[in-house]
Amino acid sequence: MNFDLSEEQQLLQDSIQRFVQDNYDLEARQAVVASADDYNKDHWATMAELGWLGLTIPEADGGFGGNQVDTMVIMEQFGQGLVLEPYLASIVLGAKAVVAGGNESLRTELLPKVIDGSVQLALAYAEEQARFDLHDMVTRAQADGEEFVLNGHKSMVQHGGTADYLVVSARTSGGQTDTNGISLFLVDVTSEGVDVTSFPTVDGLAAAEIKLDNVRVPAAHMLGAQDTGYEILLAVAVDGILAVSAEAVGAMEMLYKDTVAYTQEREQFDHPLSDFQVLQHRMVDMFMEYEQAKSLLYRATLEVVQNGTGALRTVHALKHFIGKTGVTIGENAVQLHGGMGVTEELRIGHYFKRLLVIDAQFGNSDYHLQQFAA
Amino acid sequence: MDIDLSPEDLAFREEVRTFLTENAHKPSEDYMKWRLNWFKLAREKGGWDVPKWPVEFGGPGWSPTQHYIWEQETAEHSIPWDLPFGLGMLAPVLMNYGSKEQQERFLPDIRDRKVNWCQGYSEPGAGSDLANLKTKAELSADGSHYVVNGTKIWTTLAHIADWIFCLTRTSDTGKKQEGITFLLFPMKQEGIEVKPIITLGGAHSVNMVHFTDVKVPVENRVGEEHQGWTYAKGLLQHERTGLAGISRSLVALETLKEQAATVKRGNGTLMDDPAFRAKVADLEVDLMAVEFTELRSLASASSGSDPGPESSILKLKGTEIQQRIQKLTVEAGGLYSAAWGAAQPGHRFARGGMSGYLSSRAYTIYGGASEVQKDVVAKNVLGIKKSSK
Repeated sequence: MNFDLSEEQQLLQDSIQRFVQDNYDLEARQAVVASADDYNKDHWATMAELGWLGLTIPEADGGFGGNQVDTMVIMEQFGQGLVLEPYLASIVLGAKAVVAGGNESLRTELLPKVIDGSVQLALAYAEEQARFDLHDMVTRAQADGEEFVLNGHKSMVQHGGTADYLVVSARTSGGQTDTNGISLFLVDVTSEGVDVTSFPTVDGLAAAEIKLDNVRVPAAHMLGAQDTGYEILLAVAVDGILAVSAEAVGAMEMLYKDTVAYTQEREQFDHPLSDFQVLQHRMVDMFMEYEQAKSLLYRATLEVVQNGTGALRTVHALKHFIGKTGVTIGENAVQLHGGMGVTEELRIGHYFKRLLVIDAQFGNSDYHLQQFAA
Repeated sequence: MDIDLSPEDLAFREEVRTFLTENAHKPSEDYMKWRLNWFKLAREKGGWDVPKWPVEFGGPGWSPTQHYIWEQETAEHSIPWDLPFGLGMLAPVLMNYGSKEQQERFLPDIRDRKVNWCQGYSEPGAGSDLANLKTKAELSADGSHYVVNGTKIWTTLAHIADWIFCLTRTSDTGKKQEGITFLLFPMKQEGIEVKPIITLGGAHSVNMVHFTDVKVPVENRVGEEHQGWTYAKGLLQHERTGLAGISRSLVALETLKEQAATVKRGNGTLMDDPAFRAKVADLEVDLMAVEFTELRSLASASSGSDPGPESSILKLKGTEIQQRIQKLTVEAGGLYSAAWGAAQPGHRFARGGMSGYLSSRAYTIYGGASEVQKDVVAKNVLGIKKSSK
C-alpha cells in the first residue's frame, strides 16, 4: 500500500506544472477564451510533442500504455491551470472508446493521428430527455447493407465543434431506457447530414449540439459489437468521471490556497482578514473537504485500475462528493474574497465556474448519491 | 500508487483473524476469567496484549499498517474491554519521561490490568483552555512531598480508579504552560472526594474530584517540576489520533442499516424511504472518504515521513461521523426512541440508540473540542499566524 507517484509520474507532474506556469496565467487563458478559437492550437501541438496525448493509449496502438493514475496526474494539473485544450474529449473519452471497441484497421489508421494531435475526437452520448441516464437514448441507427443510418440529436458534446470524429451512441434495438440495444459509432463530422452547432460554455470551454439527419456510417466504424455498446460507454464514462474529478481536485486546491493567501493580505477593521476566527474555520472546512475529495479520488481511481467498472459504487461516491464539495468550496472562496470574489479579475471565479460545470458532467451530486444508494 | 496489502501484511491479517476466532468468548465461559486468560494468551503471542507498546517495553512493535489491520479486525471480532487511561495514555508518558524506577513500578500493573487509572486534567475553570488549570501542588519545606489542593472535573471513572495521573500548578509566574507538574497518586486516601456527574444518557461515568491537602511523595513526580505541560501535550496528540474510531464506525454503519431494515414502513422498511436512504448514503460516502484519509496518513507514517496534513482531519471528521450514525439510529427508532429506563418496548435497538446518541454529543467536545481543533489546523496546517495587531 502506497500513495506515492512513481518516478515517471513525478516527472510528468513537474513537466505539466511547468507548462501551466509558463502558459496559463489568467490573462493568457482569458485571451484564448475571448478569441475565435476554442483552444490554443500551439499548446495542443506541445502536448502531442511531449507525449501526453499518447500516454494512456496502449503500446500496441502506438501509445505508452499508461492507466487511470496517469490520467489523474495530468487532469489534476490541468485543473490547477484551468487548461482549455480538448484532452478530456479527445483522449480520455474519444480514444478510450476507439481503443475499447475499434477494429484493427480503424485503430491502426486513427490512433496514431489522435496521438500526434492531428485528429481530434469527441464523445456524443448525452440527450436532452435522458438528463443523466447513460442508457436513456432515442437516437437510432438502422442497418442498411454495409452501413448504418443514424438519426437523432446529441446534447452538450464537449469540444464537439472542433472534433474531426464523433463517438456517437445510438439505439440499434430495444426501448428508450434499455441498456441492451445500444451501439457506438465513429462518425466523420464531414459526413452528409451531420449538423454541428458550437457554442461557448460558462467555464471558458466549448460544447456543441449535434443533429444527425440520415447520416450514413460504414458498419466497420461500429465500436464494439452491435447492441452491446453500453458496456463500453459505461467504462468510458467511468474514466470521464475520474478525469473530471481529478480536474476538480486540482481546482479545489487552488481555491483553498488562494483564499488562505488573500485573507492574510487583505486588511479590514485594522486586521488581516485571517485574524478572524469565523473565517479561519471556514477555510479549515474548505481544506478538509479538499483532502477528503482527494482521498476519494485516490480510492476510486485505484479501485478502477484494479477492478474496472466493478468499482462503480466507489465511482458514484466520488462523483457525489466532488459535486457537493466542489461547489461549496467555490462558493466559500468567492464569499471570503468579498467584492473581489464576484469579479472576473481573480482566477478563483474561474475555478468556481469550472467546478459548477463539472458537477453536472456525467451526472450531478444528487444523481450519483441515488445511484450509490440503489 | 497501489492499494494492495503486501504478502507479509496479508499473512499477518490471517494470523490475527485466526487468533481472534480461536480465542473469542464462548457463551459458556465466565467473562472475567476469559478476559484475563485472553490477555495471557495475547501476551504469549508476542505482546499482543499491549498492541501499541514498543518492543523495548514488551509490545509487538507493529508497523502502522499492522496497527490498521488490528483495528479493522478487532472492530469486527470482539476483544475484551479495556480502559485507555493506563495502557494508552499514561504508559507512553512513563516510557518517554518517567524514571527507570517509575517504569518498573507502574508499567507491569498497567499491563496486567491490575490497577485502574484516571486522568486528572480538566478543571471547572480549565476546559478547552487546559493550561489555565489551578489545582495547586506545594512542595513541603523538607522537599519530601507535595501538598495538593484543588478540583478536577469530567474525570472519567474516577469512582473506580485506584490511581490518578494529575496535572497540577507548581508556579504562577511566567507563561501559564510553564508552571505545571505531572503527579501520580492513589485515589483511595484521605483528602480525596469523588462526586458523580450524571450525563444526558443517564450514565455515571464522569465525576468531580476534590483534593484537600493530599500528600504526594516527590518520587511520584514524572520528569521535572514545572515541565508537566510538555509531557501532557504529547499525550493529548496520542489521545486525539485514537478518537476517530473509523473501524468502529464502519461496523456501526452496517449495524444501522440492518436495524433500519427491521423498521416497517408501508409495504417495505425504513431503508426504502428515499429521504432516510439518502442520509445513510451521504454518511457512508463521507465515511469512505475519511477511511481512505486514514490510509493515506498511515501510508505516509509507514514510509517514515511525518503524518501529513490529512491526519489532522481524522479526529474532526471521525467524531462527527460517529455522531451522525448515532443520530440516524435515533431517527430509525422513531417513537420508540423515547422509551427510557429498563423497559424495552418496540425495536430492540431504540433504547440503546437514544443513550448512545446522547453520549456521543461529548465526542466533539472531549480530547479538544472541534472548534479548538480547527484553530490548531488553521495555525499548524494552513499556516495562518495571528497578526501582531
